Amino acid sequence: MLRVCRLAMRYPNGKLALADFNLTVAAGELVVVLGGNGSGKTTLLRCITRMLRPSEGEIWLGEVNLAPLSGERLRQARLSLAMIWQHASLVGRRSVLANVATGALGRHRGLWTALGGLPAAERRAAYGHLDEVGLAALAGQRAATLSGGQAQRVAIARALAQRPQVLLADEPVASLDPEAAGDIMRLLRHLAHDDNLAVLCVLHQVELAYTYADRVVGIRDGRIAFDLPSCELPREAVRRLYLSEAA
Amino acid sequence: MSFAAAPSLAERSWAGAFGLALRLVMLLALVLIVIQSAVVVHARPQDLITGVYGMADIVRRATPPDFAKIDLVWWPALETVDIAVFGTLGGVVLALPLAIIAAANVTPSRYFYYAARGVIGFARAVPDLVWALFFVTAVGLGPFPGALALSVHSIGMLGRLFAETIEHMDMAPIDALSLTGARRVQVFTHGVIPSILPSLAGISLYRLDENIRSSLVLGFVGAGGIGFELFSAMSLFQYRLVSLYLIVTFVIVIAAERLSALIRARLA
Repeated sequence: MLRVCRLAMRYPNGKLALADFNLTVAAGELVVVLGGNGSGKTTLLRCITRMLRPSEGEIWLGEVNLAPLSGERLRQARLSLAMIWQHASLVGRRSVLANVATGALGRHRGLWTALGGLPAAERRAAYGHLDEVGLAALAGQRAATLSGGQAQRVAIARALAQRPQVLLADEPVASLDPEAAGDIMRLLRHLAHDDNLAVLCVLHQVELAYTYADRVVGIRDGRIAFDLPSCELPREAVRRLYLSEAA
Repeated sequence: MSFAAAPSLAERSWAGAFGLALRLVMLLALVLIVIQSAVVVHARPQDLITGVYGMADIVRRATPPDFAKIDLVWWPALETVDIAVFGTLGGVVLALPLAIIAAANVTPSRYFYYAARGVIGFARAVPDLVWALFFVTAVGLGPFPGALALSVHSIGMLGRLFAETIEHMDMAPIDALSLTGARRVQVFTHGVIPSILPSLAGISLYRLDENIRSSLVLGFVGAGGIGFELFSAMSLFQYRLVSLYLIVTFVIVIAAERLSALIRARLA
């Protein structure tokens, strides 16, 4: 489970990107974050992954507060937190299977993985994760040859190889066609509901949020504008979220 | 919709005159540069004309090449190639860790960054011929000082190109791998190296090609290989042997160039 308490982030230029931000994502739940450009969505994910150090607040991943961690303790904590990016961010010259198996590297130490090797057990597990996202047939193919939708599914398989408790996704369907976008969202919902992961997904596609999210959180100017189950979310509230950007 | 006002006829003629004057000044500057360089190098074109007889005489004395002495060529030829191979491999092994430290996006610290850039810059700034003279003095005549000279000079050339390759690579897969909780060394061997390996191999092969040409010249200062034999043959006025060495040199250089281009094309 992911719990964000009173999170604030002020950039060195003085801009307040997040203020007094509270959010909980329970295991088995898919929460979608909506908001205009510059509203603080990506800053939120960067703080949770600790690519940024928040100015204030706590980020609880189970029983561990990520906010004050650094070095080896942060690396250890990150093992249970997986991230999917807008672009799949695979190593193009490596095989699909190798890309997936690298998700498990953090659990291994020693010369073999330090020299570029992958444990046989992780290769077998990676094949299973590829099967789960429907791409086992492409295991031996170079990652650079995949389509955008396929690459994103491989990135999800890599996240699964990490065996995370929490899965974060930063606009994972932004560059995909509607069919591929639907596939990815169904997969994320399956991971939340069937694999019991806590999934937090930033989106720009409002209809996808209505269709697949359990809960929708709206961000405006770094603060929560609404936090409602998708079935109770009024269209007017979403419209206002983007109107403020135009104004 | 609004349009910018078109320049008047007077404005256009002023602009045209200014452009013409600027071109004339640039042409004059170019002519002055050429003249001063000819003065500084004591250029004497008439000497080229009178020197034609001397050159023709050397060509006459160098033909036909002395193929009967081909057995004398194999060993120096192998030495030449091996000086370049050793020099390039040594350069790659030493340049790669320096390049990692000297790449702004992956360097562990700014102090190490500047130190590594300094070492790379120094190794590159000193010509390989000077490194060869240094190592000949240090370890004596033969192919070994030549190989050492090429290694050290290659650190400079390869280190800079490797560092630039690392700096220009796509960092998204590297960041993604870091966030999985992979250790720094794992991120490097599983993310950075596979991403840049074809570029590194291409650069190294190009360097091998360059080093083969350089190793020929290093022989002139006593660093072994065909260059050393060529210099000895010239000093003894054995011009037919000189032409044989030159033919073998040509074959080695062309073969290395073609092989390097072929492998680089496959890696691309």
